[in-house]
Amino acid sequence: TEAIGLYNVGQSCCLNSLLQVFLMNIHFTGILRRIMIPRHAAQMRRNVPYQMLLLLEEMQHGKRKAVFPTALAHCLSAYRVKLFVQHDAAQLFLTLWNVIKMQMGKPELVEELSDLYTICVQEHLACQKCSVETKRNSSMLTLPLPVLDSNSHKLRTLENCLQYFFHPEELTDHNMCFCEQCGRKTPFLQSMRLVHLPKTLTIHLKRFCFENSAYIHKLSHYLPFPQDLDFSAVLTEDQCQADANEKAAWQYELFAVVAHSGSTSCGHYCAYIRSLTERKWYCFNDSEVCQVSWDDVKCTYGHPSLHWAETAYLLMYMKKQLQ
Amino acid sequence: MAQWQEVQSLANAHLEQVHQLYAGAALPMAVRQCLAAWIEDQNWRQAAEPLSSHARMLFHSLLALLGERLGSPGLGDEDFMLKHNLRKARRDLQAEFEECPERFANLVANLLQEERRILRLGQAGGQGGAAPAPSPAPESGREQQIQRRLAEFHAALQEVERAFRHLEDLQDAFDFCFKVHYVPGEDKTNDPQYARQLQALQAKLQTLDRQRREVLAQMQQLLGRSERLQEFLQQELGDWRERQQRACMGAPADTRLRPLETWFTELGQGLFQLLQLLRALGELWQKVTYERDPLKAETPLLEQRLKEQLTYLLRRAFVVEQQPSMPNPFKRPLVLRTASKFSARARLLVRLHDRNHHMEAKIHIDRDPPKIKGFRKFNILTSSSKTLLAGDSPQEGLVCDFQYLTLKEQKDSRSGKGSKGAGEGPLVVTEELHIITFTLAYAYCGLELELETSTLPFVIISNTNQLSSAWASILWFNMLSSDPSNPKEQQFFSAPPAAPWPRLAEVLSWQFESVAERGLAQEHLLMLAEKLFGSKPSPESTVSWPKFSKDGAAGFSFWAWLDGILGLLQEHLKPLWKDGLILGFVSRKQEKKLLKGKWTGTFLIRFSESVLGGVTCTWVEHPESGPPAFRAVVPYTAAELASLALPDIIRDYQLLVEENIPENPLRFLYPNTPRDEAFGPYYSQRQEETLTEQKRYLNRRLIRVSSRQANESWQTEEELVVATENLETLQLQPGGPGTQQVTSGNVGTLQPLSPGTGQVMVTSLGTLQPGGSGTLQVTSSSLGPLQPGGSGTLQVTSGSLGPVQPGGSGTLQGDAHVLEPPQPLQVGPGVPEMLLPEIGDLVLQLVPEGQGTLQVGPGDMGMMQGLPGGLGTLQHMGPGDQGTQRVGPGVVEQQLVLQLVPEGQGTLQVGPGGLGTLQVLPGRLGTLQLVAGDTGVLQPVPGAVEPLLVPEELPPELRDLDLLPGSPDMQELLQSLVNGPESGSRTLETLEPAELMPNIPEAMDGGLDPRLAGSAALLAPHDPFLPQSEDAAPAAVSSLFTTDFPPLHIDTNDFQ
Repeated sequence: TEAIGLYNVGQSCCLNSLLQVFLMNIHFTGILRRIMIPRHAAQMRRNVPYQMLLLLEEMQHGKRKAVFPTALAHCLSAYRVKLFVQHDAAQLFLTLWNVIKMQMGKPELVEELSDLYTICVQEHLACQKCSVETKRNSSMLTLPLPVLDSNSHKLRTLENCLQYFFHPEELTDHNMCFCEQCGRKTPFLQSMRLVHLPKTLTIHLKRFCFENSAYIHKLSHYLPFPQDLDFSAVLTEDQCQADANEKAAWQYELFAVVAHSGSTSCGHYCAYIRSLTERKWYCFNDSEVCQVSWDDVKCTYGHPSLHWAETAYLLMYMKKQLQ
Repeated sequence: MAQWQEVQSLANAHLEQVHQLYAGAALPMAVRQCLAAWIEDQNWRQAAEPLSSHARMLFHSLLALLGERLGSPGLGDEDFMLKHNLRKARRDLQAEFEECPERFANLVANLLQEERRILRLGQAGGQGGAAPAPSPAPESGREQQIQRRLAEFHAALQEVERAFRHLEDLQDAFDFCFKVHYVPGEDKTNDPQYARQLQALQAKLQTLDRQRREVLAQMQQLLGRSERLQEFLQQELGDWRERQQRACMGAPADTRLRPLETWFTELGQGLFQLLQLLRALGELWQKVTYERDPLKAETPLLEQRLKEQLTYLLRRAFVVEQQPSMPNPFKRPLVLRTASKFSARARLLVRLHDRNHHMEAKIHIDRDPPKIKGFRKFNILTSSSKTLLAGDSPQEGLVCDFQYLTLKEQKDSRSGKGSKGAGEGPLVVTEELHIITFTLAYAYCGLELELETSTLPFVIISNTNQLSSAWASILWFNMLSSDPSNPKEQQFFSAPPAAPWPRLAEVLSWQFESVAERGLAQEHLLMLAEKLFGSKPSPESTVSWPKFSKDGAAGFSFWAWLDGILGLLQEHLKPLWKDGLILGFVSRKQEKKLLKGKWTGTFLIRFSESVLGGVTCTWVEHPESGPPAFRAVVPYTAAELASLALPDIIRDYQLLVEENIPENPLRFLYPNTPRDEAFGPYYSQRQEETLTEQKRYLNRRLIRVSSRQANESWQTEEELVVATENLETLQLQPGGPGTQQVTSGNVGTLQPLSPGTGQVMVTSLGTLQPGGSGTLQVTSSSLGPLQPGGSGTLQVTSGSLGPVQPGGSGTLQGDAHVLEPPQPLQVGPGVPEMLLPEIGDLVLQLVPEGQGTLQVGPGDMGMMQGLPGGLGTLQHMGPGDQGTQRVGPGVVEQQLVLQLVPEGQGTLQVGPGGLGTLQVLPGRLGTLQLVAGDTGVLQPVPGAVEPLLVPEELPPELRDLDLLPGSPDMQELLQSLVNGPESGSRTLETLEPAELMPNIPEAMDGGLDPRLAGSAALLAPHDPFLPQSEDAAPAAVSSLFTTDFPPLHIDTNDFQ
């Protein structure tokens, strides 16, 4: 199937990019095609998964260059996803995913959807005085990676960002926590360990910097990411809490890049997606779709002198099929 | 080729797909075929947009065209079926799509797209089936990719422009309808016609809004495309910068800017076109806007993004095409000298400018000088601004070419070099880096920018002798600077990093490549590394800046040494180095290893390690016994090579050894190329054939000669060869050993005051009057009287004449056919004289007090006439020799000794009152003729079997063969000649093989020179040229270590 564009129906470039990322993912569409179809027209209009399915059908069978996601956009506006409003792609991704999950209908599909996207981590908090340790399992949809370290130095690669993200942090001074055993506030070591990675892994590069609350600016510096990513090689033994089987499966290849151009106040999103069937890269700019190469995708690494150019914001990695 | 034609020429498998495509399609293939060209010319994709009037127009055009075709006479009766099909198709199409022409447009667009897909598959398959496409060279591959991207960019740009014009049409239509139908303020809600009109207006606005979004999406796409294209171009430009930097260091690199200029200009053109389009979009929304107008929201973003791109493109496109350089023989840029002219050129790769607007470029030196104590400040003396010239032809591009610039130091009394203060110590002049910045006020299409670009840092010197170390700085900087364009790098030498050896090796190799078109081989680099590190280098080995450019045990740094060699190459040895005849960098150890197994006379040329800019030859000699000896001549420097080129030196090089047989020890260039074969092409032209033409002048030729000094065992001493012209008297400077040469056609008097060599070449006349010891070589048909005050050697080659009138001791060496007509050589009083073999018919007259030895070579005849008071020895060398020794009448004191070697024949005639000794070696025949009153001794050497013929008329008391006469003089002479300590016994040992040699050609092939090897022991102990007995021992290798040699030629480090 050739990639089909989505018309911009009112500052919908962010939504369009994310929809493409969802709909080009055959694992997601495999779930979407099995949803319960609402009975009534009113329910249909309000059901996001159903509207997505309709859109998918239209894209695949219309043989058009692009289709209008108008109905879906209207449907979403009921869930506080407004048109003619600038959205943050990471935020919108979470909203969309939760709405889809909520309206999926069948519990087994909900579980499949969760499996497809959910990352499991274990948070550790250890008192540095009495070495009492508390663990907590939690799950997340994206890995929100900072692109600067604690000293505001630019991290050099995606791998560095990952390592930094899973790097233990000492909580001292006013960050100290109350230790039940010690009965007072003590310094703690906080760390995060990776337990499980889903089939579709979403990485969020935190390129918007809230240095002082009044002024948000974008970090457009160069940050390369690989096409193939082996998490077990990137993270140390201490940063993982997984068995060998799990870790052996942590082989990923890049599937999509949601890129942002412009500034925080006024910008544009486009998506670079590698078709899972044809294994070719496409660039989706609303209704405009063109085939590109990995070299083009690399241009979203960021650039020190081009602040308005496209920079990768969300990265979707797909787990490699084990032979 | 038109698409439909291409489709028809597809392979069957793919044609089948086309048939399937059209089998289910509403558009019959007959129609596609009939209107192929027209269908392909239309923009169906655009027409397929919802609510587009374009689709309806296209649909009706198609029906009309079909109608025309049906009515045309072109389709005759035979096409009845076709006509029928077309007519049916027209009817069907009309029925199906009349209501929804957009659907039809979409259908056709999809069909065309599918056709293209099948075509691609078919064509790719066709290629793949034939042969896998050879992967193109990476360079050309990148170029092709840029070309392809540029083409795609321009195609997309045209697409946007089309879309934009369509938008303009839609807006005009809407605007017109709006102004006509919309009447605000009036309540016409009840007017159904007005409501309909409003509805239509609303629909038109929807269309307009969609088209606006469409154009914006295309623009976004296009900007993404140009960003990516820009990235590729910048990468190419970065590569170019690196290449330029490497080229500055002497590396062979392609520094053409033409392709980059073309690409930058094309992209720039496209971006400026896009800027115009964006501005036009801005005008559109200023005419018609509405709530949530996408143009209003997004054009500012697009313009920002575009301007940023353009700015970046232009800033980067301003490059220093030619780094500052002043003319110098090495073509080394980035070293400037005050008050010397230099030039620099900058170029704007985006060749777009407004002809009516003159742009001015300026240059500044050290606009932002580093805060280093004592950093010198300079002024550019010549004009520092220039109008950017475009040139009339578009080929020339936008350049600002600053030629004839000069620099002058600002003298500031307060910040002199000597001023003390805190902070870093002042850098030496050659480590002070300066920068020239070009600025250009660029203005085009309403975009105004201040562009600037900086040169690579350069060094400013005030004296030419700083050039070498300045260049070292430039190399170091460009090799190691992490960010050469960062102005902070001007302080590079405050803390210069060390160079990794592999990187340094590469850069050093470039130096040789740029000077003499041949880089350094692995073996060279290994030698250099071992010199630097004392051992084999590891990939991690590094060289520090001081070690490279400052420290040096030999009194000069590694770089100074290397640059001296580069200078020598540049001036004198380019072709030899280029063609690989100079082995160059060879350690002593390696040199021995290479030469050890080679024939005697195998030599290699290497650079001296102890002399700045010196080159030397080392050859191997295999003595009969003991280890091979390696000999090297004192290095030649530019001063010597200026008078005589190295190939000519090698051709004519002569070694005067103790035996006084001059010869060229350089026979084979390592590994085994005969000398003349290797160096023949480089010899300078000989002028022998001009002998008859140039009656007025005799030919001359310079050669180099070494003589081996007695007290220096094997070490050869280089001597200066000087050309003389007509009867010139040359005087050698006292103290320096030298060679004077009289070349053909000249008459000269040589008066070496110190040990020297005089050479009289073909048809020249030379007189040697050495104050010290000297050698006079007389070659063919030349005449050379030898009048040594001290000791001297007269070498006479064929056809030459050499009377010797020595005041001191002298040697006369002669080749065959010398002295025609035979002319006596006179040996002066009190002077021992020696005549070497191969003299031919030679008569040696010994004048009173004179002492002479006459050695007669094979086939020669020699006569020694002893005048009263003279003392002489006649030595026979080989078979067939005949020697007569006559002692003049009344010479009572005369003592004559005739030595006969095997197969020699000799007569000893002792005149009245003379005294003679005949020594006969085994197998000899000797006659002792005694005139009355003479005393003669015939002394058979032990082992001689031949009977001695003793004339009957000899007085009986003189026939005693066992006892020598009681004369003490006689005793002494015999003692020294025959029984002398060491030399006496060796006379026999070494003579035997020596005589055998001439009959055994293999021995010659083996590289052994029989005369050299054998004659060493023939030397009379009196000869001042001869080593004293302790020095006569064969050269021991240990003597290589002699350190009392003034021009140290051997680095003792080599022997570790």
